[in-house]
Amino acid sequence: MAAPAVAGGAPRRRAGLGLERAADSRGVYGGLVVVALAFLLAFVGYPLIYNLLMSFQEVTLSTMARLDRPWVGAANFEAVFADPLFWLVLRNSLAFTIACVVCQVALGFALALFFSLRFSGAAWFRGVILAGWILPLLVVGAIFKWLYATNGGLVNEALLAAGLVTRPVNWLSSPDLSLLSIILANIWYGTPFAMILLAAGLAGLPGELYEAAHLDGAGPWQRFRWVTLPLMKPTLLAVLTLCTIYTLRAFDLLFSMTGGGPAFSSTTLPLWSFVFSFQQFDFGKGAAIASLMFVVVIVAGALYVRSLRTEVRL
Amino acid sequence: MRLSPAARWSCTALGALVALLYLFPLYWTYVSSLKGPGELFASPPTLWPAMIDFSGYRWIFTRENIPRYLLNSLWISAAVTALTLLLAVACAWGMARLRSRWIDIALLAVMLSQVLPPALLATPMFILFRQAGLVNTQAAVVLAIVTKTLPFAIVVLRTTFIQVPGELEEAARVDGCTRLSAIWRVVLPVARTGILVTGIIVFLLAYGDFVYPLTLLDRPALQPATVGLFSFIGAEYSDWNNIMAFACVFVTPAIAVFLLMQRQIVAGLTAGALK
Repeated sequence: MAAPAVAGGAPRRRAGLGLERAADSRGVYGGLVVVALAFLLAFVGYPLIYNLLMSFQEVTLSTMARLDRPWVGAANFEAVFADPLFWLVLRNSLAFTIACVVCQVALGFALALFFSLRFSGAAWFRGVILAGWILPLLVVGAIFKWLYATNGGLVNEALLAAGLVTRPVNWLSSPDLSLLSIILANIWYGTPFAMILLAAGLAGLPGELYEAAHLDGAGPWQRFRWVTLPLMKPTLLAVLTLCTIYTLRAFDLLFSMTGGGPAFSSTTLPLWSFVFSFQQFDFGKGAAIASLMFVVVIVAGALYVRSLRTEVRL
Repeated sequence: MRLSPAARWSCTALGALVALLYLFPLYWTYVSSLKGPGELFASPPTLWPAMIDFSGYRWIFTRENIPRYLLNSLWISAAVTALTLLLAVACAWGMARLRSRWIDIALLAVMLSQVLPPALLATPMFILFRQAGLVNTQAAVVLAIVTKTLPFAIVVLRTTFIQVPGELEEAARVDGCTRLSAIWRVVLPVARTGILVTGIIVFLLAYGDFVYPLTLLDRPALQPATVGLFSFIGAEYSDWNNIMAFACVFVTPAIAVFLLMQRQIVAGLTAGALK
């Protein structure tokens, strides 16, 4: 690298100006990091703490703007637990999370394995499937609401034509089916993401091990069971926790397809918190549910970060 | 593993079938948008419109709100992308050049801030922005969405910047750059693909965001297309050809960008999630 021609050959340093010296000190790096961290602290950290405080206060529309609100201890939490809807909402949340995560990761893994076979077009097909995942969730909600429509929806038309049902099914307006219908839509949406991450993991596996297993006479199932699966465990764990975090966060699809109804049959914890805060203006209870959820996702987040560490060590 | 030619071709056929089946809902969206109200509800449904009808698209551009919604989406996403990249490039470079326990802790905090559900942060954010007098401004929405995109961008860019050799910065300093101006002169040019891809993913994330504009804006003139779309699908509006046309106009640019940059976007997403 050619240095600028300066008499004496010493590297040119524009000394003097304090600003310039500051721009060249090692402290610059710290400063750059601090700006973004300060942003996150102000717009994530502060709301997080504020929410925690609110969950122990009585907050109404009129006291919303003040901080000196009456403290009520754990009353908001007790009210939430005692609410007749609590168990229904908790059950919905668990069913939604478990069904979505298990199916997304299982299907995603199956697809990732299939597309890892060396056939023409494999990478291209795999990539094109991800188009489902880049759609805004509101668009996914609109598409599936039309597919599920009782009147003229493709799902009902196909089932009627095949003779599987005799009259159109109310996929979204029946309390027994609404959550299931959204789960299916969410599996459609989330599977490509799991697939892409798992495919990246598969691509990183050492090929020699397969050659060795092959020479040792291991069949496809044995190679999967004794080579792929153990090597993929850290990636699977990371993808599993990541999908869990995304599913716990889910809101847009549920809110746009059913709004949590009918009769709360598709309300999960984030939706319930939202209903308390923005529809009933009972901010204390909304904040209490949010605080509980924050604890859950932060635990899941910690597991995720840990799983990344083990992956890196591999 | 090697496959015989016959097995290879059957796999290709199966792969094509899987992709087609998976993308069928998307195909159906476009087809429905091109049907007239009569054909839309025909039984059995037609797989391709018997008569292509652009009334859905005409409807979009005669509703004065919808072009507004689309422009708002573009503008909000552009502002989010600019602010995110500005903060994230700086932060990620600092993190890549400094190695210490404190940086590890900061990175952990950044990653954990990613897991918080936006639907739950929306309430305290709404109250805080109200106190600041920012409710019903797009600035509030931009700031709120950046909380979502910034951690992602920091994580991805940090892994990119770690690969930029420190000697490049040293050379730039010998040439008279400060550590600060070396970012502009050296880091940005060297890592521009990574930054571009990160910017595209951030843009797509912002483009699809719904919760923050829903809670922070109640004037249709300010709202983006996600909230606009919700005002139709949430209200049991049943002219699905119109809604599908709206959805198509909204997502086609996103799909086009994705198809053009598929490989890089996949790499960027993987880096954000697994590094």
